[in-house]
Amino acid sequence: MSQTTETSRGDLTLNPEQTMSAPVYTPAVDIYETEDALLILADMPGVEKENISIHLDENILTLEGEATAPAEGEAFLLREYGVGNWRRQFTLSEVFDRSPIEASYTNGELTLVLPKSQAAKPHTIPVKGE
Amino acid sequence: MLLKRTLAPVGSWRGPFSQMEQLRRDMERFLGSYGETPGTAEANVFPPLNVSEDKEAFRVYAELPGIKPEDIEVSVTGKTLTLSGERRFEDPGQAVRHHRRERKFQRFSRVVGLPSDVDHAKVEASSRNGVLTIYLPKSEAAKPRQIAVKTA
Repeated sequence: MSQTTETSRGDLTLNPEQTMSAPVYTPAVDIYETEDALLILADMPGVEKENISIHLDENILTLEGEATAPAEGEAFLLREYGVGNWRRQFTLSEVFDRSPIEASYTNGELTLVLPKSQAAKPHTIPVKGE
Repeated sequence: MLLKRTLAPVGSWRGPFSQMEQLRRDMERFLGSYGETPGTAEANVFPPLNVSEDKEAFRVYAELPGIKPEDIEVSVTGKTLTLSGERRFEDPGQAVRHHRRERKFQRFSRVVGLPSDVDHAKVEASSRNGVLTIYLPKSEAAKPRQIAVKTA
């Protein structure tokens, strides 16, 4: 069993390259664990695929999406959501292999599949006899 | 969940607290975004909408992540726009354990009352990256018209 812990705001390693002063929102996330992988699904609507970055530093996973700046001068009658960047960071309890991590983005939904490394899978060790 | 919200035309009197209400909502959204449970501020309305107006048309934007365009129903009757559909839960397979379940899977329906008539034949809806945009051109009668003042 692995663990995922959300990095609290104070510990968030801020991206020094952030140039936009857009607000940063927290995407809603589902995390599932299967025998072979950890699945992370995040709702990050309104972002172009190219502007999503997924960063894995040791066991700290950062999901970021930079929103496209909305057209200026629009007169809004109703505003129930703000347009800004998405950002969320998790600490994973184990180190995952980097290379097989798969990410896809469709209809504003980011899907990440982190296959468990061989070491993390439940493993039965056969006892050899003479 | 059915929600009827009628929009007041721009510049009309919306009550003394409407500005305050907007500010409170913006603050809540801003502060809420750092909280432990994201999305609580607007969790009771789905999908959240933004509506804008210019001389020619209204534009309605809806955040609908994870919903296929074919699962969204958009209809216009008179001055009323209806948006409905369902976000289906996709079983991730042999899930052993759930670490987090923050996303909601449910049927949704929202009704927006527009301040003026729209040209039904020219309404267009498109979806990109989980954001639905509905373009509703105003009917000729509802468009503002410049009237030249003649010298008598």
